[in-house]
Amino acid sequence: MSTDGQSTPAAEGSPRASVPATRRAVIVGANRIPFARSGGAYAKSSNQDMLTAALDGLIARFGLQDERIGQVAAGAVLKHSRDFNLTREAVLGSALSAETPVYDLQQACATGLETVVGLANKIKLGQIDSAIAGGVDSASDAPVVVSEGLREVVLDLHRAKTLPQRLQILARLRPKDLAPLAPGTAEPRTGLSMGEHQALTTAQWKIPREAQDELALNSHRNLAAAYESGFFDDLMTPYRGLTRDGNLRADTSLEKLASLKPVFGRNLGADATMTAGNSTPLTDGASTVLLASDEWADARDLPKLATVVDAEAAAVDFVHGKDGLLMAPVFAVPRLLARQNLTLADFDYFEIHEAFAATVLSTLAAWEDEDFGRTRMGLDGAFGSIDRSRLNVNGSSLAAGHPFAATGGRIVGTLAKMLHAKAASTGRPARGLVSVCAAGGQGVVAILESL
Amino acid sequence: MTLAQPVILAEMPSLSKLYVNAAAQAARRRLLGTHDSAVLPAESHEVRGVRVGVENLTAYQHLIGETASDVLPAGFIHAIAFPLAMSVLNRDDFPLPLLGMIHLRNSVQQRSPLVFTDVLDMTARVENLRGHRSGTQVDVVAEVRPGGSGEVYWRGVSTYLSKGVFLPGIDKPTAVPPRADFQPPDPTALWHLGVDTGRAYAAVSGDFNPIHLSVLSAKALGMRRSIAHGMYLASRALADVGPARGDSFTWDVEFEAPVFLPSRVALEIATEHSGSGSWKHSRFVAWSPRSGRRHFSGTVAAL
Repeated sequence: MSTDGQSTPAAEGSPRASVPATRRAVIVGANRIPFARSGGAYAKSSNQDMLTAALDGLIARFGLQDERIGQVAAGAVLKHSRDFNLTREAVLGSALSAETPVYDLQQACATGLETVVGLANKIKLGQIDSAIAGGVDSASDAPVVVSEGLREVVLDLHRAKTLPQRLQILARLRPKDLAPLAPGTAEPRTGLSMGEHQALTTAQWKIPREAQDELALNSHRNLAAAYESGFFDDLMTPYRGLTRDGNLRADTSLEKLASLKPVFGRNLGADATMTAGNSTPLTDGASTVLLASDEWADARDLPKLATVVDAEAAAVDFVHGKDGLLMAPVFAVPRLLARQNLTLADFDYFEIHEAFAATVLSTLAAWEDEDFGRTRMGLDGAFGSIDRSRLNVNGSSLAAGHPFAATGGRIVGTLAKMLHAKAASTGRPARGLVSVCAAGGQGVVAILESL
Repeated sequence: MTLAQPVILAEMPSLSKLYVNAAAQAARRRLLGTHDSAVLPAESHEVRGVRVGVENLTAYQHLIGETASDVLPAGFIHAIAFPLAMSVLNRDDFPLPLLGMIHLRNSVQQRSPLVFTDVLDMTARVENLRGHRSGTQVDVVAEVRPGGSGEVYWRGVSTYLSKGVFLPGIDKPTAVPPRADFQPPDPTALWHLGVDTGRAYAAVSGDFNPIHLSVLSAKALGMRRSIAHGMYLASRALADVGPARGDSFTWDVEFEAPVFLPSRVALEIATEHSGSGSWKHSRFVAWSPRSGRRHFSGTVAAL
C-alpha cells in the first residue's frame, strides 16, 4: 500500500529475526539538578558548571569516584563555540577518573535521549561496560554572537598581511555591526519560532484551549505530588539554593491558566490557544543517567532499575508544512512498536515530552485519526489511543521546565524509577514509552522495561 | 522578430550611470516633450565574456538563503544581466521613461545550470509593447549563454509597467479581469525583513535604485517608505522551494503589492508531485500577516 507518509512495517516477520542477540543495557540510576527558570537561580552558571554539578551528584550517589567509566556522552543545544569539548571538560572537573573517554552530541531537544540510546547500544554490543548519558542547557548563559558584519571584519583582519589592508578592512565597520545578536528560536528554513510552528499544528488538529490547560494543570499537580512523596529524593542534587524545579506552580488552577493571554499563533491567522501556561518556559538545568552491563552493576552491588529495550528516530518534512515541526514521534512510535511486536496497550507508562501541551495532544490526535493512520502511516486505520491515566504521571516539561538537552535524562531517570517500583509492587514486569520531539522536525522514542 | 544587427557593448554597462542618464533623459523629455513614438527599438544589446565574481556570488547566496554552491542561482543571473537589460530601456529611441517603471511579472527558464567559472555571453532586447489598464507595459527579454556557445542556458522575461503613460496606437485592454479574493492560507514561513533589506540586496545585486535604499531616498522619489526589491523577494521564494527544483526549471512570479520596509512577510509554499512521486511544481504566495494583502505569487516548475 502506498502512503504519502512514512509506512509502518507489519509486526509479523519483523526484521528482528536477522539481528544477532546482544546483552542487556541496564539503567542503574540517574541524577539531575533542579531546573531553574531562565534568568533565575542559575543565571550565572555555565553549561559546564551545571553538567558538572549533576555529574558530581551521580558520582556521589553511586560511589563512582576515580572510576574509569566506559564512556560519557552529553551535549547542549545552546552551546558556546569555546565549549567544543563541553562534556570532556565537565568530566575533567568531576571526581571520575581523568581516563574516562567522552563525546559531545547535539540533536536539539532529543540530545539527552539520544545519548542514552547510543551509549546503551555500545553496552549491548560489548564495546563498553559502563556509561553516563546526559545533557545540559542554559537559556540564561546563552552564547551571544557578534553581527555578521563584525565577524567578517574580524576574520578578514586576521587574514590581512599589511597595515593598509587592515585599515581598509576596518573602514568597512558600521555602527550597526557592533550590536550583538542573541540566539533566536526560529527554525532557520521557515523563520517561524517553535511556538508558531506548534500553533499551526495545534490549529490543524483543532486542539482546544481547555484541553491544553488541563494537561498543563495535570503536569504541575503530578510533579508537585511526586515532590511531596519524596519521589525525586534519589534523583536530584540541590544546586544554587534550589531543591525543586523553579517553574513548578503547585497551586495553579484551571482558572489561573485560563486567564493567560495566548502568545503563539496570533499573527498566523490560526486560532491562538497557546499561552505561557501551556507552553514550556526557557529553563536552565542538567541531567545524567548511569548505564551499565549486568556484570558491571552486579560487581559493584549497584541497583538495576530498568533496561533500554529499543529506540527509533524519525524526521518529518515540515519545511513546507507537510507535517508539523514537532510531529516526528508520531511516525517513530508505530515503527518502534511494530518492530517489537507491541501495541499501545502493552505499556504501563507513557512519557511524552511536553514541549507544549498541544504537542502531546496533537500527537495523540494523530494516533487516534483513522484517515491519518491509513494515508500517512500505511496502517489499516487509526494507530490507537493511550490510557491517559498512564501519561506523564509524575509531571513533565510543562511543570519541570525544559532545559533542552537535559530533558531526555530527566525523563529516562524518572521512568526507570517508576518502572522498577511498579514491577516491585505488582510482581510483573512493567514497560514504558519515551517520546521526545526536537527542532528541525526530528524525534527520538525509546522503550524501557523494568528490572 | 528582430532582424537588426545587435549592438555589441564592450563591457557591462554601469547601472549607476544608466540611472543618472535616465534621470537626465526624464528631465529632457519634460522640457522638450516626448516624441510619442509607439515603436520599440529593434536592436538587441549584447555583452560577451562576462565573468562572475565569486565573492559577490557567495554574498548573494548567503543573503538569499541559497547554499553557496558553484551553480549560479537563477536570480543571480538576472541580477548580472540586469544592467544590460536596463541599457536597452535607456536608449533614446525607447518610447517609455525608464524611471518609475514598475516590475509586474518575471518569468525565467533555467534550461541548464551555469557555474561561476563559466564566461557568459548575454543579450537583451525589448518586445511586446502593449496596453495596460493603468499605462503601457513592455517585456524585456534577456538571454544568457556560455561563452562562444549559441545555446541559451538561461532566459528571462521581465514585464514592466509605465504607469500613466499611454502611447498613440496602443489600446488599453477594456475588460479588467476581476482579481479573485485572497484568503491567506496557513503560512509555511515567515520572513522578518529589516529596514536594511534593500541596501543588503543592492550590495549583492548592484541595483542601487534609490526607492530601495532608505526612507529618505525613497521619499525623494515619491514613496512613503523604501520597498524591497521584487527580485529579492522572488529569489528568496525560489531558495525556499529548496533542492527539489533540480538544475533546470521555470520560475514565474507576479508582483502585486510592494513590500514596504521594515516588515514581516508570510509565505506559503505548496508542492505537487506527479503520480510517480517526482516533483512537479511548487507554488508560492506571499502576503502581509498584518493586513492579509497579497504581495506576490508564483510557481517553480520542472522544465
